[in-house]
Amino acid sequence: MLSDKRISILIDNMIWIILLVVFTFFVFQSEHFLTERNISNILTAAAVLGVLVIGQTFVLISGNFDLSTESTLGLAALMGLWLIVPAGAPTFGGGVFLNPYLSIAATLATGAAIGYVIGVLITFGRMHNFIVTLAVLLIIRGFMLAFSEGAPVNGFNNPDADVFYWLGHQTAFVLPGLGKITVAVVATGLLFLIGHFILKHHRFGRELYAIGGNRDAAEAMGINTERRIRQVYMISGLLAALAGWMLAGRVVSIQSNLGEGFIFTVFAGAVIGGVSLQGGRGTMLGALGGVLLLSTIDRGLNLMHVSVFWVKVIQGLIILIAMFLDAQRARLSELNLSKAIEKSKESG
Amino acid sequence: MSYLELQNVKKSFGAINALQGVDFQIGAGEAVGLMGDNGAGKSTLMKIIAGNVQPTSGQIFVDGEDTVFASPLDARKLGIEIVYQDLALCDNLTAAANVFLGRELQAGFGQFHKLRHAAMNRRAAELFAELKSETRPHDLVEQMSGGQRQAVALARTRLSDPKLVLLDEPTAAISVRQVAEVLARIAQLRDTGHAVILVSHRMGDVFEVCDRVAVLRRGRKIADKPIGDTSLEEVTGLITGALEEA
Repeated sequence: MLSDKRISILIDNMIWIILLVVFTFFVFQSEHFLTERNISNILTAAAVLGVLVIGQTFVLISGNFDLSTESTLGLAALMGLWLIVPAGAPTFGGGVFLNPYLSIAATLATGAAIGYVIGVLITFGRMHNFIVTLAVLLIIRGFMLAFSEGAPVNGFNNPDADVFYWLGHQTAFVLPGLGKITVAVVATGLLFLIGHFILKHHRFGRELYAIGGNRDAAEAMGINTERRIRQVYMISGLLAALAGWMLAGRVVSIQSNLGEGFIFTVFAGAVIGGVSLQGGRGTMLGALGGVLLLSTIDRGLNLMHVSVFWVKVIQGLIILIAMFLDAQRARLSELNLSKAIEKSKESG
Repeated sequence: MSYLELQNVKKSFGAINALQGVDFQIGAGEAVGLMGDNGAGKSTLMKIIAGNVQPTSGQIFVDGEDTVFASPLDARKLGIEIVYQDLALCDNLTAAANVFLGRELQAGFGQFHKLRHAAMNRRAAELFAELKSETRPHDLVEQMSGGQRQAVALARTRLSDPKLVLLDEPTAAISVRQVAEVLARIAQLRDTGHAVILVSHRMGDVFEVCDRVAVLRRGRKIADKPIGDTSLEEVTGLITGALEEA
């Protein structure tokens, strides 16, 4: 029989086993699944989700939530193109003709600023993270609709938009078996590696785990928990803006509802990858597994011509499974603690 | 000269006056028991000395110098270590990670540095061995017994060579054998020139290892005398209010 420790390790790494099983299933279901083009598509589709999940992973490990990232992503994409394209139809831009590099810098700074404001409201304002980020989600979404009057901003045929396409579309290199690897995939891969390093080998990551595990203890040990929380929200906002830049380069025409509903997939990706909603648990590599799994399922179902309605049902089920796994992890921790207390009483 | 001296320290939490002008001092090689009923102000006083809480008014002198602790790190820098009543452990981290929390060993330069996991695990193992604990550095705290958790909290105080060690109810949740080990450790600290403040409800522990006992009641210090000049009955009377003051 497996010990609790082994069960815990198994649950923590379950994502890679599930990914393998799901991948193999689709290989047998569709002859087009194991093609370079499809693998490339899976990775490219995973890139935007991945960037958002990296930010959310930092936030979740610190014991917080960030619901606002989907609207920060939409705002960054809309704002980025709006700043560089002509005014009026058919582009509905601002007519600012800002240098595209400055436009990108402005969107990234805006994302980070939104995150920082959220962090300030939570730490200085003593407001609940769930409510603050939900409110910011609604404010930004409403602002996007009001600002664009519901019209899409279009970056087609605009040479200044090349820098957007570069991150969203450009092929970085071609790998045999994997096909075209886009700049977006390379960037996301690098960000996952950096995120992994920070969580595993840097004091910042260690402090986030401590804050998520026992904030009072972290404070007692001299960690400036409020400052760290503001920083994780800033990182999350910055990465959401980066994901917006990436997405703007892929879809080119930005609707004012861009990213709507995306947050559920982001949470599912992180949680199914082993990041706990209770805080203090999870790894960046696990989150990567969650992202790849969701992207694989999405492409696989698409190739199997499963109705879009059933895809929604399956996505809902995946979120439920993710929550179930999270609950089991929490139960195991509590079980370990009560066993330790019992053991201690017996030895006394 | 006293290592630590508090003068007229007051602390209010809204309308509650947790400490109402406490004077206290302790020198090297001295162990002082701090006693009092629940709500007497013991934990608040400990947190002020450890830098977790700033006093509303009053002065703190360390080695004769007027000092302000903005955070626990300031107190640690001056050689003050604390073992909290709840041990202040993160159950989701390993024993070694908890021991080094807030002062991790790192390699690198500037902002570019990485944690030295192997070195921290090695040092934590040495500390657990010194404490005669079976705790292993890689084990998660959530999987540990009360004694092992206690060892992790105690190991923190041995990372540096502290001048003053504060222990808040260190024997409250451990076995009889482990209590004896903790008391031996306190005696050892005192005999090697360290100052120790022991907060405990267990009067026997205080009388066994302390040189002095100070009693707090409703935020005021009502007694501070050598152990040899008092008795269990007198201290009990002071704590409960049967005796006004010593």
